[in-house]
Amino acid sequence: MDKGVAIIAYAQTPFEADANASREIQVLEVAKTALEAAGLKQEDRYTVISATNDYCDGRTISNMRLVEPAAAYKKNESKVEMDGGYAAIYGLMRILSGDHQVALVMGVSQASVYARNIPGIMMLDPTFDRQRWLLNEVSAGALQARAYMNAYGATEEHFAGVAAKNLDNAARNPLAYNKLAGADAAKVLAARKLYEPITELMLAPFCDGACAMVLASGEAAAKADKPVWVKGMGFAHDSYLTERPLEEMGSLELAARSAYDMAGITDPASQIDLAEVHENFAHEELMAYESLGFCGKGQGGSFFDSGATLLGGDLPVNASGGATGANAVCATGLARIIEAAMQIRGKAGEHQVEGVNTAVATGQTGPCAQENVVFVLGGE
Amino acid sequence: MEYKKETRAVEGDWPMAYWQWKFESIALIAKTREAFKEKKLLGLKCPGCGLVYFPPKPYCYCLARPDKWVEVEQTGTITTYTFTGAWAYEGISEEEQAGGAPMIICGINFDGSDTLTVCLLDDAKPEEVYVGMRVKLKWPEVIEGRVDDIAHSEPLKE
Amino acid sequence: MAHTDVAVVGVGYSKHVSKRRDVNIAEMVWEAVSACYEDAGLKPKDVDAICTGNMPAFEGVNIPELWGAGHWGAYGKPLMRITTGGTTGGSVAHGGYYAVSSGLFDTVLCIAFEKQSDGNSTMGLNTVALADAAAMFQQGVDPGFLAAFGGGAVGIAVYQAASYMKRSGCTTEHLDKVSVLCRTNAALNPYSHLKQPGLTPEEVAKTTLMQYPIRFGHVCPATDGACAMLVTTGEKAKKLIDKPAYILSCASCSEEASLMGIAGSGTTNMDPCVQESCKIAAKWAYDLAGIEDPRHEIDVAEPYSPFAHQLLMFYERLLLCDDGEAPAILDSGSMNLEGDLPVCPSGGVISTNAIGASAMERVSEVALQIMGKAGDRQVKKEVHKGVAHGWGGAVNLNVVAVLSDTPRRS
Repeated sequence: MDKGVAIIAYAQTPFEADANASREIQVLEVAKTALEAAGLKQEDRYTVISATNDYCDGRTISNMRLVEPAAAYKKNESKVEMDGGYAAIYGLMRILSGDHQVALVMGVSQASVYARNIPGIMMLDPTFDRQRWLLNEVSAGALQARAYMNAYGATEEHFAGVAAKNLDNAARNPLAYNKLAGADAAKVLAARKLYEPITELMLAPFCDGACAMVLASGEAAAKADKPVWVKGMGFAHDSYLTERPLEEMGSLELAARSAYDMAGITDPASQIDLAEVHENFAHEELMAYESLGFCGKGQGGSFFDSGATLLGGDLPVNASGGATGANAVCATGLARIIEAAMQIRGKAGEHQVEGVNTAVATGQTGPCAQENVVFVLGGE
Repeated sequence: MEYKKETRAVEGDWPMAYWQWKFESIALIAKTREAFKEKKLLGLKCPGCGLVYFPPKPYCYCLARPDKWVEVEQTGTITTYTFTGAWAYEGISEEEQAGGAPMIICGINFDGSDTLTVCLLDDAKPEEVYVGMRVKLKWPEVIEGRVDDIAHSEPLKE
Repeated sequence: MAHTDVAVVGVGYSKHVSKRRDVNIAEMVWEAVSACYEDAGLKPKDVDAICTGNMPAFEGVNIPELWGAGHWGAYGKPLMRITTGGTTGGSVAHGGYYAVSSGLFDTVLCIAFEKQSDGNSTMGLNTVALADAAAMFQQGVDPGFLAAFGGGAVGIAVYQAASYMKRSGCTTEHLDKVSVLCRTNAALNPYSHLKQPGLTPEEVAKTTLMQYPIRFGHVCPATDGACAMLVTTGEKAKKLIDKPAYILSCASCSEEASLMGIAGSGTTNMDPCVQESCKIAAKWAYDLAGIEDPRHEIDVAEPYSPFAHQLLMFYERLLLCDDGEAPAILDSGSMNLEGDLPVCPSGGVISTNAIGASAMERVSEVALQIMGKAGDRQVKKEVHKGVAHGWGGAVNLNVVAVLSDTPRRS
């Protein structure tokens, strides 16, 4: 992008199964920390974009109580009802328009507040699928996994390997909550089966958490310490899950293509140092390898087998543990972007990967990864 | 495409009973309710901007967290009001309601606080109420430590 | 500046009635979307991105785009869903404006809709407050009393109306007149819901009192309807149509959320008619648009007014006159179709309220006035600039857009 936009600050709460704070207080904590890290005060001029979902929060206009905690009092505020990655996109658009210089974007969800299957079921076609109670987010994910296995020969062992990698990585991430140091494929396979072939350890369980990020125009970012630049971004909508080939992540591929075009990336596997992928299930990470162009179509399994995506590999994926480690629905994609930015800044702590200069992060909304957003980030 | 006039409707409710919300204000208001038993109104003062919230509130727009308990006066000023009767809910006419006294609901800014509390105004007629009117809290005979304990107010005769 | 001008090149509406039982959400929205494509002379393949929104509680579907948007031409396109309560439509239009002005997309389809008859509409409204009410029940409060607290059927609007009347000298007769102004304008608008040609203030004054000072005649209906709008860059717009309506600027401003009373009120709502956030948003929008004197530069206004007093209140808060002057301006006739600064020539929200769509219809109606395509409801004076407003959230968010027949930058 010729007109630069940079990430100048971010904050995440610890992700927990049942946080000891309301979402308002969680949002207040991250908004305050992120603003302070950016050297901003509540009185300063910035725009605020939040990402929440009315069904997850169990209230219409779910952003309405968040005005003050989100530091949005008397601010130019709006809300996207999708993954937090979309809040980042909207913030980015507002800055690129020239009307705004700084955007505070955030995402929050508290799974401890709602019945975990309900928001997903409410997403289904109300005239048909919702009446039949066969599909939910997990069973749909299982259908997607089977379609992918069938098309490209990926195996349950591949899925288990990916899950084990993420659970082990999450053990190094102090903010993650679903972690298992030293996890291996056998352990993942032996866990309770939910919908064949998905076991309990292969999915990204919903949890509580919030995160916030401050985006700034090139001018406003000039004073910032170690800004992380948005080199490219893209997002795309795919058809409803029963109307598309489930073995592909079409919208992720389209989003990645547009992000790579913008960032001038022609050979993702060699030009990208690290990826943070929003995978609701282990198999979705393999599918993402392909859609993000790290390997050829159908090669996700063998790419994983090569060890490239492990923490010490050539192209580590989900060093933070990914969504498997922490999945607070509307915050998950934004947390991926933040984790990628932390890696570029060299501030990721125990799960830091050496020499990350270009990283890609993704977020998703909808059953079977229907909507996807991709960010390409870079250092100086 | 031609559609039939009336298609078959499909049902799908939002099962709200599954949600269990979290609130910090529950603990705060519990403390306030306890103070009702001593006929006291407790508000929370924000250390950041000095605003006093009554009823107490766990966060402030200035991003500080109100944490200092302060006593709020039991007199206040009406900032807005309305009145209503059964007609508003049952769809029956004013004439049918002629016998019953309308209920006056007013927003009161209690002295020493910076926010508004909604209460009923007793011992006044709708045409007598105005914005800026001085009122005082009217405690019930038995105080149970419920939010309803501060549901009533009356005109302040100075 | 390298930034891009943004122009509205097409507008489309579905039918607006209280119950659409003949179509589902996706089909109803397609009526508006196809009309919009036709109006602009574009095809789905010409669209680069899509911006949508509604209030999902009213239909009982979480993110209806997931199953519906393929029907509107979204397949394989970037889609962003923006929802902000009553202001949703306005926020969606703002999203379209930013998508184009950022230079990321050329042509963006904005869609806002509501099919209230699909859902349990009381449940939809209740969920605004239920989360807070749940906390209050725990504290010991009688549900009937709570309902009265919240303003019963008409909510916080009654408190706002009462304090506005106190501040401005507006009387109940003014409220009746506002209803007449809007409902008779609505009779000229084929897409409005409540059309009442020849309505008189006396008739409005005879409708049942809901809660002082609001009568049934002062309140909006519940509508099923959708609105679609195509926005594109200034350059493309000039090639497409003779008279595009440029969106000069957008601004929103939020204040403290407050359901009045127990669950934690804020200072902003002490006097619910102040609506300072509307003044701030209006000022931001006028500043960006280069408007120094809105009272003389604005030719038409579409304030968001589901309740009669709000038309007058927001006329003031949009800085079109001083505080307290609007009732007299209404009396002068200047707000009529043939007046100096016509207000709600479409009939406004008080005549048609498909909640999620309403605030976008304010933008699209101003666009139609500028494009000269408003048909029977076209105002008599020549329209160069107009202002479109939306109000929502928990009475705490205001969105303002300024439109013009000349672009901002070139």
